[in-house]
Amino acid sequence: MKKRYRLIFLCSFFLFLTQTGWAQFTVTGTVTDASTDEPLISANIFHQPTGRGASTDANGEFSINLPGESATLRISFIGYVSQNVEVSASTNEISVALQPDVANLDELVVTGLASSVKRENLANAVSSVSAEDLNGTSPAQTLSSELYGKVPGANISSNSGAPGGGISVKLRGVTTINGSSEPLYIVDGIYLNNDAIANGSNAVTAAAAGGSASNQDNPVNRIADLNPDEIESIEILKGASAAAIYGQRASGGVVIITTKRGQGGKAEFSASQSFGITTISNKLGQRNFTAETAEAAFGEPGLALYNDAVANDRFLDYEELLYGQEGLLSKTQLSSSFGNETTSFYVSGSLQDDEGIIKTTGYEKQSIRANVDHDFTDKFSVQVSSNYIHSESNRGLTGNDNTGTTFGVSQVATPNFIDLRPVNGVYPDHPFNTANQLQTRDLFSNNESTNRVLTSVKASYEILRNAGNLLSFQFTGGVDFYSQNNKLIFPADLQFERISPQPGTLVETNTDNLNTNTQAILVHTYTPSSAITLVSQGGYTSFNNDQNIVSTVGQGVLGTQTNVDQIVSITNNQTRVFQRDRGFFLQEEFNYSDTYILTAGVRADKSDRNGNVNKFYYYPKASAAWNLSNNDFWKSEAVNNFKLRVAYGQTGNLSTFGSKFTSLGPSNINGLGGILITNTRGSENIKPERQKELEAGIDISAWEGLANLSVTVYQKNISDLLLQRELEPSTGFSFETFNGGGLRNRGIEASLDLRPVQRDNFQWSSTFNFSKNVSKVTELSVPAFDVGGFGTSLGVYRVEEGKSATQIVGLDPAKDGSGIIVKKLGDGEPDFRLSWFNQFNMFKNVDFSFLLDWKKGGDVINLTELLSDLNGTTADYDDTDLTFPDYVNEAGGITDDTPNGIKRSNLLGVTTRQFVQDGSYLRLREIGLYYDIPVSALSQLSSGLRGVRLGVSATNLFTISPYRGYDPEVSNFGNQPIAQGIEVAPYPSSKQYYVHLTIDF
Amino acid sequence: MKKSHYRLLIAPVLLVMLIFAGCNVFNIEDKPDPNNTELTTVIQNPSRSEVNTLATGTESSLRTDLRIYHINLGMIGREMYRFLASEPRNTQDLLGGGSSILDPGSFYTTRSWAAFYASIRNANILIESVNTITDDNVLSSAERNGVYGYANTLKAYEYLLALDMMNENGIRQQSQSDFFEPGPQLSKQEGFQLIKDLLDEAATNLSNAGDAFSFPLSSGFDGFNTPATFLQFNRALRARVAVYTEDWNGALGYLDDSFIDAADDLTNGVYHVYSTDPNDQTNPVFANPQAGAGDSWVVHPSFVADAEDGDNRVVGNKAILRVDSDGNPNPATLDGLTSGYGLFVYKSQTEPFPIIRNAELLLIRAEANINSSTPNFAAAKTDLDVIRTNAGLSPYTGPLTKAALNDEMLRQRRYELFFEGHRWIDMRRFDRLDELPLDREGDNVWVSFPLPESENL
Repeated sequence: MKKRYRLIFLCSFFLFLTQTGWAQFTVTGTVTDASTDEPLISANIFHQPTGRGASTDANGEFSINLPGESATLRISFIGYVSQNVEVSASTNEISVALQPDVANLDELVVTGLASSVKRENLANAVSSVSAEDLNGTSPAQTLSSELYGKVPGANISSNSGAPGGGISVKLRGVTTINGSSEPLYIVDGIYLNNDAIANGSNAVTAAAAGGSASNQDNPVNRIADLNPDEIESIEILKGASAAAIYGQRASGGVVIITTKRGQGGKAEFSASQSFGITTISNKLGQRNFTAETAEAAFGEPGLALYNDAVANDRFLDYEELLYGQEGLLSKTQLSSSFGNETTSFYVSGSLQDDEGIIKTTGYEKQSIRANVDHDFTDKFSVQVSSNYIHSESNRGLTGNDNTGTTFGVSQVATPNFIDLRPVNGVYPDHPFNTANQLQTRDLFSNNESTNRVLTSVKASYEILRNAGNLLSFQFTGGVDFYSQNNKLIFPADLQFERISPQPGTLVETNTDNLNTNTQAILVHTYTPSSAITLVSQGGYTSFNNDQNIVSTVGQGVLGTQTNVDQIVSITNNQTRVFQRDRGFFLQEEFNYSDTYILTAGVRADKSDRNGNVNKFYYYPKASAAWNLSNNDFWKSEAVNNFKLRVAYGQTGNLSTFGSKFTSLGPSNINGLGGILITNTRGSENIKPERQKELEAGIDISAWEGLANLSVTVYQKNISDLLLQRELEPSTGFSFETFNGGGLRNRGIEASLDLRPVQRDNFQWSSTFNFSKNVSKVTELSVPAFDVGGFGTSLGVYRVEEGKSATQIVGLDPAKDGSGIIVKKLGDGEPDFRLSWFNQFNMFKNVDFSFLLDWKKGGDVINLTELLSDLNGTTADYDDTDLTFPDYVNEAGGITDDTPNGIKRSNLLGVTTRQFVQDGSYLRLREIGLYYDIPVSALSQLSSGLRGVRLGVSATNLFTISPYRGYDPEVSNFGNQPIAQGIEVAPYPSSKQYYVHLTIDF
Repeated sequence: MKKSHYRLLIAPVLLVMLIFAGCNVFNIEDKPDPNNTELTTVIQNPSRSEVNTLATGTESSLRTDLRIYHINLGMIGREMYRFLASEPRNTQDLLGGGSSILDPGSFYTTRSWAAFYASIRNANILIESVNTITDDNVLSSAERNGVYGYANTLKAYEYLLALDMMNENGIRQQSQSDFFEPGPQLSKQEGFQLIKDLLDEAATNLSNAGDAFSFPLSSGFDGFNTPATFLQFNRALRARVAVYTEDWNGALGYLDDSFIDAADDLTNGVYHVYSTDPNDQTNPVFANPQAGAGDSWVVHPSFVADAEDGDNRVVGNKAILRVDSDGNPNPATLDGLTSGYGLFVYKSQTEPFPIIRNAELLLIRAEANINSSTPNFAAAKTDLDVIRTNAGLSPYTGPLTKAALNDEMLRQRRYELFFEGHRWIDMRRFDRLDELPLDREGDNVWVSFPLPESENL
């Protein structure tokens, strides 16, 4: 964006050059950073009355011709406080030192399809995350995990600790019940596909056999493919008021990602290398058995094995055996920027190779990027971005199952007195489970390999420019193609395969996904006077998606063969998905002297996801911002910027594919082909959900940017919800998607930036981000229904009119002893989230920073503990510290002295409260210490060196939580709009330690 | 200035028109479901092959979620246990462990119920689509009757399974023509009446259905795949319904029109068949009887303990002693329950599963002869002895009294029809649920499943 503005300034400069004929003078000067004295490159120098401008070169120097005898120049640079400087024919050599600006008021924020707004003038709380914020402290494996704690209003939660991603991002509460709650990701104009495609392990685990159709394969959502190191900035539009111009795909918010681009000039290189190790964050421990408890839990065979273990003094730590790997992490990044006046390149490549905490699991990624910018003429410029990514993950086999095959479910059936370790390569059978998890881990494989190409072209053509008018045409085209291969190999020798009628299972799933999008936009900027600017824009957008998933499950593997034709029997499955969206939009912005900024617009969209494919749905928006501090009456010296803002907008959310079809699926018997009605009834009139959001806020910047406060309140009303209602199954149909009901989110977000200490040798900046959201189902035209979980006795998320959308209900005895009732026992939504980021710069060369992330409240259904209790292996099984109210004790036939494990098991079917646990946590997300070798020392080493940076860092160093499972951040069902926090024997979370070296030359 | 401004306003309009003129970039094609057959394509004037696929789909659908149904009946009837470590509700809820109850929202209630009614819906779609055929060249009137007779018989069978589970709570009728409106709730008595009426209507249809069906049936219907022979299957089901409603005299009449034959193989009958072909299913209750602790299917200890010496249907046949790799006994244990014998009623994953077979018909005849208003104990003994002889047992020597013969009849039903979905229903019919063994303190024997929560009744 910055580039384009430079271009405009450059053009205007030439334009006015040709008209000059009267008295004029030339001003030259330098612009530097006030804190470091380093020259600032590409700082803007602007003369408002004439519209003349210039920008600084690589040495921070500029030169500008001005008419008349004297003038006021505005010197600005993104990230710094702008200054006005008086110049005249006599004082025509100036040097300006700009103060860094915490509030980033001059930063251009991309908010629309073809426009950006100065942060000072924004009417919405748009969160920006810079490259520095993103991974300046400590790297994370994937992009989403680098956003933790950096965006107020974002509820980010990892689904499991498995390497390679699987992270849910929700902006401002629950935005849908059955649609997608994930935001729309746009990278350099490419509408990214963020699907989570099942790997097919259900063929073995049968996790969904118990009645839950959801994907329980612990999938990765594909945003994980992006390389965070290549990102320049991220802007997050959190609700409909900011994202309305994105129409029917923006209800979950929009995440606009801009990658790094080249700077003209001599080639510059940057190479960095990180090494690290990862270990399990939190071990649960194991139960210590006695002869009696071993026999009680595992019968006579258990007693025999226990006695054997005592005789040999052989008690094993299975958490250490399975989750104890200290995985090695490595990331190499090399990038270069070069070019000339008309063309610039940014080229980057990275290699990432991470092991997991379970042996044989890990994540690898290779990525190359080339971003090319070229100005064909003064009026016509093109930006090309291209990225190829190969990622490969081995995620093991964790989570829920119905066959006792996953690592986690095997683990809970494993007491410490049995020995599952291989002897001479032969794995003993697990005496109490269908699988020996050590054998499964070592012999099976679950590999996901993705090849992905992202390409976009942005062309910009200036059609017309004269005094006060600028008309330009912008075209953007984006392509996102990936091919994903999932291959699971369960050799015939595995314990659970040996007993199968056709031992050995292969699952091969191939997915091709193509997203293409285009937009063509005309932008007209009209400046009738120096105070007024009107920007009109309108354009066309299109979006296409085609996805084809072909999955083959083979049973009865021939020897060690891994091709799906080398088997006895085969099951095929193909799923095709398509989407065609077309739309247009119009928007008008009015700016009076950066004091009153008004915007109004409308987006029209249609899609073949809707029942009526050619009906347009309209999404209007309007906003106003008032910079009181730019009014003449504003006298405060301390408060430099004071803004009131209000914004309203609407967005949509499309139904999931197939919602409108009532179909019969294949059901063959004995070689005869049959068709059978599927349990989901189609809805011919399905239309998008509609979100209406009103937000209002106040932004204050004081003491030249030393303190900045931004507070936003919002209310989101979502109507025509895409509900999947349970039909009376006696109709033959169990589900139907329909539009109905209403949902409301109210929330508050606040961020406070402080720079308490600003000295030469010590600088401290500190940021607090706070958010709180409360949801309520305001209207439900159907009876309450469950959206996730394993039935009321184990706790379910129930959508019920008048209640929180994320309430968890379960069984509990009535207090009067009249029986067992179903009632609310928890809520998945946090009470609030608060993060605290601190950055210290000492002696100019030492940077220390850390990020604390606090989630208060938000309950999780812990079923790992249930399974452990049923197997008698829970670490606290024999303790008695867990207590329940008297009426629960009575109903369950227990007392306070009953062992915890027995308490919880006995209460199964009586109450669900033992599973619904507080998921609060305080986590040290990131901590890092870096040292820059001083420039003076470097120049002695080599003249080519620009910088050398050394560092150590850690992520998730500690977590404090009352939760009794591995991690309160967990989701057995993957990314879910509501039913996020359900734990069933997941891949445990890990922490990472890194050392870093970066060399710039 | 002003003029140029107007030009500027016109320019974008012209440009947009230019770009989109000619090419219809805004239009979206309404494409059908790429993954499945849309209902609208088969519901009106189906082709002969579409009728065939609907008929086959209906037969195939009878097998959906039968695993859950048979575990429900097998566990409550104390015939077997499924020890699935990851699913505590099998050993808690189904056995009435502690204070747990049968949950109207849990899979064991909802999945089976939904499966029965999906089959009924498919049969109703078949009937409704054939109703729209007016051209005799597509399907002749006799062939249409064949479809109706077939579809109504299968509907009756699925209603019967639903009623077996829900018992006192009754069932719900499905509207044949309105695919989306829930039908009336029926009491147990009304439910049986609906089933009887459907079977009788089907019998009339089949009598007017000519010599052959227009659609194919799987090998599970070998010997019953013409209108005339399918009618024998229909009458066999009718006889089962008759004894379920204590219409013992009627049962004898229906049996006469069925395929009952004391001289024939006891296994003769109609079956669900299985294969490993694409989109086919395998026998859902087949499991390796030695399967390990995470998922073990075992027989209830009482099945072995109560068996008569020499009964060839028990140990070594339907019950297999569980042993470890050293040959030592290896009982399976979960949740305070134990069994030393693996369940082995079905010997392979493609073994057919009976819908109704000759042995049951002989036992129905015995039951009818014992309990009829004009009992014929000798005839009952003859049929019971056929069963006993086949099991390697000597003929019945006990007293020829109603009570004793009922005991023997129920005993033979228990062992002959073991884990075929009868024990719980039989004990319930004879008001003997209290005779079923309780394995743990606090366990209960359920009488009926609740109607699913989602029925909103």
